[in-house]
Formats: sequence, structure tokens, C-alpha cells
Amino acid sequence: MGAHLARRYVTETDTEPDPAKKFEFDPQIGFEERKEREMLATQEQMNLAQLPVEQRDYCAHHLLKLMKCKRDNWPNFLACKHERHDWDYCEHQDYVMRMKEYERERRLQLRKKRIEAQAEAA
Amino acid sequence: MAGVGFRRWADALAKGKRSGISALLSGCRAASGASKGTLPGPYPKTPEERAAAAKKYNMRVEDYEPYPDNGEGFGDYPKLPDRSQHERDPWYQWDHPDLRRNWGEPMHWHFDMYIRNRVDTSPSPVPWSTMCKQLFGFIGFMLFMFYVGEQLPSYQPVAPKQYPFNDLYLERGGDPEKQPEEIKHYEI
Repeated sequence: MGAHLARRYVTETDTEPDPAKKFEFDPQIGFEERKEREMLATQEQMNLAQLPVEQRDYCAHHLLKLMKCKRDNWPNFLACKHERHDWDYCEHQDYVMRMKEYERERRLQLRKKRIEAQAEAA
Repeated sequence: MAGVGFRRWADALAKGKRSGISALLSGCRAASGASKGTLPGPYPKTPEERAAAAKKYNMRVEDYEPYPDNGEGFGDYPKLPDRSQHERDPWYQWDHPDLRRNWGEPMHWHFDMYIRNRVDTSPSPVPWSTMCKQLFGFIGFMLFMFYVGEQLPSYQPVAPKQYPFNDLYLERGGDPEKQPEEIKHYEI
């Protein structure tokens, strides 16, 4: 908890990534082949559902299903447990991916610094 | 007679150089003000006058001190200490407990200002300087901490959220005529 802040502001100010800035490394570094993220809901579907911008992410198709279920089962608010879980789980995976991306950026920064130090020493 | 009186009044209205109503009322005194008997008397100059004034206000001569004679109309009214009624003993059997006042007691010139739900002159629990120090110390500390939080923001160690369609180029108000920069997101 907060170790990244200590690194960012105190110990590793030069390598700790800043999420407000663009990450600098090519997404393909270190991968054989990377699967691109798939967007299942279309823009038209999201427009028709009037989704707010912040919810138009890669989990929007689960959210659309949940909203449809809620509408069809009204007023039974207990009906859509499965749909809600699917959406929540998708959002959770999305967050985990963001954590991994951050850690990847951090380690690539450390690696870059290490290689530069070796080049200077040699 | 009434007709004649009305006629004269109407003539006076018509002939008068000033407008009618003010000409009629100029010599009148409002019935709502203080009457002559309730106004303070002239400023006491001799010790005898002082003694008489003190007796008039139910005070001892030693305690009696009139307002300075600046022509402000205080006359011989006594200058009482500027203390609010709230400071007075609540357990004493006052004649008028709400006002904490006894019958016949001299009244402060601004008595209505010093009644219990108006100005309170009783001492505060801590000195004024201590209160200022605590308040402005707290506000200053909070401002400083807000500044620190602005300079060194706290955040979760995660990458920015990824959105489809070139990070929602159209939805975020991008120009549909232009081709947006292509952004690809990968699973990890």
C-alpha cells in the first residue's frame, strides 16, 4: 500500500511510471505475439443504450446484457445476479490488466536503466 | 361649521406655496416618539444637579456618571458599563428573570442591544488570541496539506483505463472528418 508512491516521490523517481503520462515502450516488447483486445459491443448499440462515456469500455457488452435483464425483470431487482457477476468480473479483469500494464512499464523502465548503466560501465 | 372648516382647509391647500400634506404636518410631532417627560433632563453641571439626577435614576451619586456633554442628546442619562445581561447571575431572584433586571434599576442606553439573545460581552472560555491561533493554524495547516497533495498526488498503481474505438475518439468529441490516431490495446 503506497509503496509505488514512495518509489515515485522518494526512492526511484526516475523509473517509476506516471500513469498520467503516455507509457513509452512498444506494447510488443517481450511477447511472441500479443492478442488484441476485442470490443464486442458496437458503437451503435452503446449509443442506443445511452451508455455514459466512462462505461463504454471493453466490458460494455456485459453491461448491455445486465441493463436488458434489469429492464425485463423489473421490479424484481434480485433477478440479474449472473449478469451482474459477469460484468463485475469483466471489470475486475480489466483492472487486473491495468495493474499488469503498470508493472510491465515499471519493470521495462528498470531494465532500460540497468542496460544503460551496463553500457556506461563497459 | 364643518363645511366652512373644510372650505378653509381646501383654500389653504390650494393657496399654500408648499404641497398640501407637508404644510399641514410640518408642525406636528409623531405620536410614536418619546414624550417630553420620558426624555433625559439637561446635563447636570453642579453637584446638586448631579445628586438630583442620580436620585432620579435610582443611583448613588458615586456610581452616577453621565455621558459627556457633546450635544448628542444624552443629557443627564447615566453612562452605565457596557456589559450584557448574560453576564448577570442566573440564580439570583430577579424581578424580571428573562431580562435579569430588577424593578427601578437604571437601564443602559443600549439596553435592547445587551439583552440575553443579542450582544454577549461575557468572557470567552479561551483568550481571543488563542482562538485566533488555533483557527488560523488549522486553516493554514489544511491549506499547506492541500498544496502538498496537489504537488504529490496519490493514485493507484495502475495504467490508465483502456477504451475501444481509438480511446473513444468520436465519443470524446473528436472531429469525424479527420482520421484519428489508431490506438491498439492488447490483453496481458
